Amino acid sequence: MIQFALLVAVIGWLVSLSTSTLGYNWQWYRIPRYLFRVQGGRLVAGKLIEGLLFTFRIAGVSLLLALSIGLGTALLRLSDSFMGRLLTRLYLEVIRNTPLVVQIYLIYFVIGPILGLGRFGSAVMALSLFEGSYMSEIFRAGIVSLHRGQWEAAHSLGLSTVDTYRDVILPQAIRRILPPLTGELISLIKNTSLVSLVSLNDLALQARVIAADTFMTFEVWFATALIYLAITAPLSVAVYALEKRLRVLT
Amino acid sequence: MNHIQEKGDDVIITIDGVSKTFDGGIEAVKDFTARIRRQQVVVIMGPSGSGKSTLLRCLNGLEEADSGTIVVDGIPLDDDKKHRLEIRQEVGMVFQSFNLFPHLTVLQNVNLAQMRVRKKSKAEATAKSIELLNMVGIADKVDSYPAQLSGGQQQRVAIARALAMMPKVMLFDEPTSALDPEMINEVLDVMKDLARSGMTMVVVTHEMGFAREVSDWVIFMDEGRIVETGAPQQIFEHPGQERTRRFLSQIL
Repeated sequence: MIQFALLVAVIGWLVSLSTSTLGYNWQWYRIPRYLFRVQGGRLVAGKLIEGLLFTFRIAGVSLLLALSIGLGTALLRLSDSFMGRLLTRLYLEVIRNTPLVVQIYLIYFVIGPILGLGRFGSAVMALSLFEGSYMSEIFRAGIVSLHRGQWEAAHSLGLSTVDTYRDVILPQAIRRILPPLTGELISLIKNTSLVSLVSLNDLALQARVIAADTFMTFEVWFATALIYLAITAPLSVAVYALEKRLRVLT
Repeated sequence: MNHIQEKGDDVIITIDGVSKTFDGGIEAVKDFTARIRRQQVVVIMGPSGSGKSTLLRCLNGLEEADSGTIVVDGIPLDDDKKHRLEIRQEVGMVFQSFNLFPHLTVLQNVNLAQMRVRKKSKAEATAKSIELLNMVGIADKVDSYPAQLSGGQQQRVAIARALAMMPKVMLFDEPTSALDPEMINEVLDVMKDLARSGMTMVVVTHEMGFAREVSDWVIFMDEGRIVETGAPQQIFEHPGQERTRRFLSQIL
């Protein structure tokens, strides 16, 4: 706790040092209006919160898709199908060896129009394909980490492959992969900031616009960082609690 | 032991010329042929690495034989996945390391296959499970998780889980080898009861007492082949082969 306070103090001191040499004029009082405004006696979301809500929407849809893609890819890679293994391997290599920014642009400008995807659709597709590739490796690791005896016991009881996955393998694998999977969820939320590149009004784009409009570069970006942190940090804590609750003795 | 003669003589498992070579060239089973009859209790013995577990695992398709044929209750074990699934539904298996599902309670472990494979309702499955858990003496632990049980208790749950499918044959792969000495008997007792109830059993074990008491037929294996077979008294008291004699002198 003392160390943390000390750290904050040091960072604060460095920031004030750099801003004082720049002669920066702090205007924190102008930030709240971008969070919430009172309009007609009611509290409405400001630009930053609007952006955050949009970030939630795009992260939520992408998360569901990425989980499905990740699980599907992992199962195909572990299947007996040669084509399945080849295609998933190809997908993983292409996605993981190119930058997300390039993928977003490619999908937005080239693939999106072909498939008739709009701005939002393209961004979701890019994010979920990207995160799905990482999640598939996590799923695969979780599945192969289970003892072979689990498969054998299930098979010896006459359970089909589908039943074995559903009732025996996945429930155990998911408990094991919750921590790395959360890491991916957090990185997904952070990566949504890249969709501002195709002019989607997410938190990052709103921040950029406000900073450009008001010249409050420091305040806006600090506030934005804090908002991202306020979302991702509790997530880490929540999953840690979940992980403890679901722990299975073996 | 008059009932041995009275036991039916119709064959339930036919093993013909089965061979299995693992990647890396280890020949685990070589040209193995045997007939197992209904209600027979067959004990397979042999030094470690003699291929007895591999042979057992071939019988329900956990290992795929490279050559030879296996027919279980009229169903050939071949490339047809449906056949393999059918055979597995008729053949129960108990493992050395129990292999209970750790995320499920004892009751859920025993219920699972009944509900998924036999399509029983939860109530039906539970009734059967409780009956079986009573039989193996675990009825008071239905809501425990496997990790909360001793090894002997886990193995008895594993037996109940396999029996819940109402199998025609039970395979036991060194069921007591991972147990502390004081727990071996509680598992053997359950197996003896099962043998006396007329279950067809193929048991890989070093438990001489069990083999003497309940088995009808002992197969002694070494290096993937049958060295000799016979009634337990004959094998244990008058082994015909030097290899058998040497092995028995080591484990006695």
